Amino acid sequence: MRHRRGFIECSLGGTLAFFRQALYDDETASMSGLLQGLDPRVKAASLLAFLLLALFTRSLPLLGFLYLLCLALAALSRIPLGSFLFRTWVFIPLFSLFIAVPALFSVVSPGRAVVSVGGLSITEQGLKAVAFFLGRVVTSVSLTVLLSMTTRHFELLKALRAFGVPQVFVMVLGISYRYIYLFVGIVEDTYRAIKSRVGSAMHYRKGQRIVTWNMAYLWKRSYQLNEQVYNAMLSRGFRGEPVSLDHFRIRLRDWLWLGGCAATILLLAYAELTIRK
Amino acid sequence: MATETVFECRNLHYAYQGKFPALCGVDMTIAAGERVALVGANGSGKSTLLNLLDALIFADQGSLAFRGTRLTEAAFRDDAFSMDFRKRVGLVFQNPDVQLFCPTVREDIAFGPLQLGSDQQTVKARIGQLAETLGISHLLDRSPHQLSVGEKRKVSLATILAIDPDVLLLDEPTAGLDPRTTTHLIDMLDAFAHAGKTVVTATHDLHTIGDIADKVYVFGQDRRIAACGSPEDILADVALLKANNLIHVHHHHARDHRKFHWGDGRDDSP
Repeated sequence: MRHRRGFIECSLGGTLAFFRQALYDDETASMSGLLQGLDPRVKAASLLAFLLLALFTRSLPLLGFLYLLCLALAALSRIPLGSFLFRTWVFIPLFSLFIAVPALFSVVSPGRAVVSVGGLSITEQGLKAVAFFLGRVVTSVSLTVLLSMTTRHFELLKALRAFGVPQVFVMVLGISYRYIYLFVGIVEDTYRAIKSRVGSAMHYRKGQRIVTWNMAYLWKRSYQLNEQVYNAMLSRGFRGEPVSLDHFRIRLRDWLWLGGCAATILLLAYAELTIRK
Repeated sequence: MATETVFECRNLHYAYQGKFPALCGVDMTIAAGERVALVGANGSGKSTLLNLLDALIFADQGSLAFRGTRLTEAAFRDDAFSMDFRKRVGLVFQNPDVQLFCPTVREDIAFGPLQLGSDQQTVKARIGQLAETLGISHLLDRSPHQLSVGEKRKVSLATILAIDPDVLLLDEPTAGLDPRTTTHLIDMLDAFAHAGKTVVTATHDLHTIGDIADKVYVFGQDRRIAACGSPEDILADVALLKANNLIHVHHHHARDHRKFHWGDGRDDSP
């Protein structure tokens, strides 16, 4: 008989799947591909520039070009296309599509009717508005996913320094990133230990009690760990002003990439202005 | 030539939150270049003493001096003294997850020397050299949560060796390690001691103390020093070890004879 997963099991399963996905991202970030070979700061800045262009463009073909560029970059960075499309189309773009559906109809977007069903018409203006909205969302999500899948998480955090984020903030984020995995491991072990003793059948009230108790235990544990980690930092000379290893280096390929991006953005901006005229 | 005293503890008392006693009058002298083992049952105060020696906590009563300077909170308000002390004394924590708090092994190893003022190039060179010596080069860009217990212990040791301290304090360094990794760790500590450094190890693993120490302090259940001596003398004193819960004798019926086990792993068949 198939066992129906409860709320707790589903939530834990979902959290663990998220972290496994994060680990998978680190694997793709370690591959040798076009984006993986770039300095994280250069990569973040250039993808941000493309993202801003996608947000401000009023040309649908240009938006389409930017999306095709994302697909090309994913292919050149050896990201499996199936996984990339799944991550960029499921959830946010689909959810956005549901929000955008009313804009298709003449009630929201009056204009030239393309198709009429009963008293409702889908207008050309409505189609265009939805295409823009969806195009912007999917291109923005694609650019963000490209950045996260081709950059190791700690490098992404360190790249924040280039955008003026204080070192202390970056360090705290890094430590949080490190210990999330430890706590997820503890939660997983605790859940297994409970399951090994009580099996799958558990009254929901008992389940709630166990979850509450575990949340309190985890909080206490994190509080103790916080103190011990601070002691470990003090022991190695930490005095409130962290100094971190600087291992980013801008090489020739980063300059070439920056040049290529700048030329593409200028060309696209020129095309946009020409189309508007 | 007289040997320089590194640590001198006199009637050291410490209680957690002021009401849970952890040390109740410890006297101890550790000389430069000495290899010292602190042995005792769980809760006998070994880890607390290491935290005191590393000046992470301060004594409630009694005195603790490092090279003649008393370790007090006031002394650590002086940045120059604090920096100098942290450069000279390194503590490897019992739980490597406490020690390894950075997102990658490389950053963890670099953390100490960078905070203590070493320049980036020197630190990078030191990381490469240490990683090769400890056989952890392939782990440098990994996150600590992806490492095994043995790998975490090696990296923890590397984070302290990167500072190149004169005194190395270790809290249960062999706990949870397989025999091969334990041997490797002992070899590394041996090499460290041969370089003239002081090594203080808290452990309840009696198998290893002959290899890691020249002097052994036994902690009693009353959280004081019960005995001090060479590893050979301490290990030979069965009554002392039994009285301080370091060994126990139990027996069970084997197929055709009675078998006695010692808590430290030895077994005898009468």
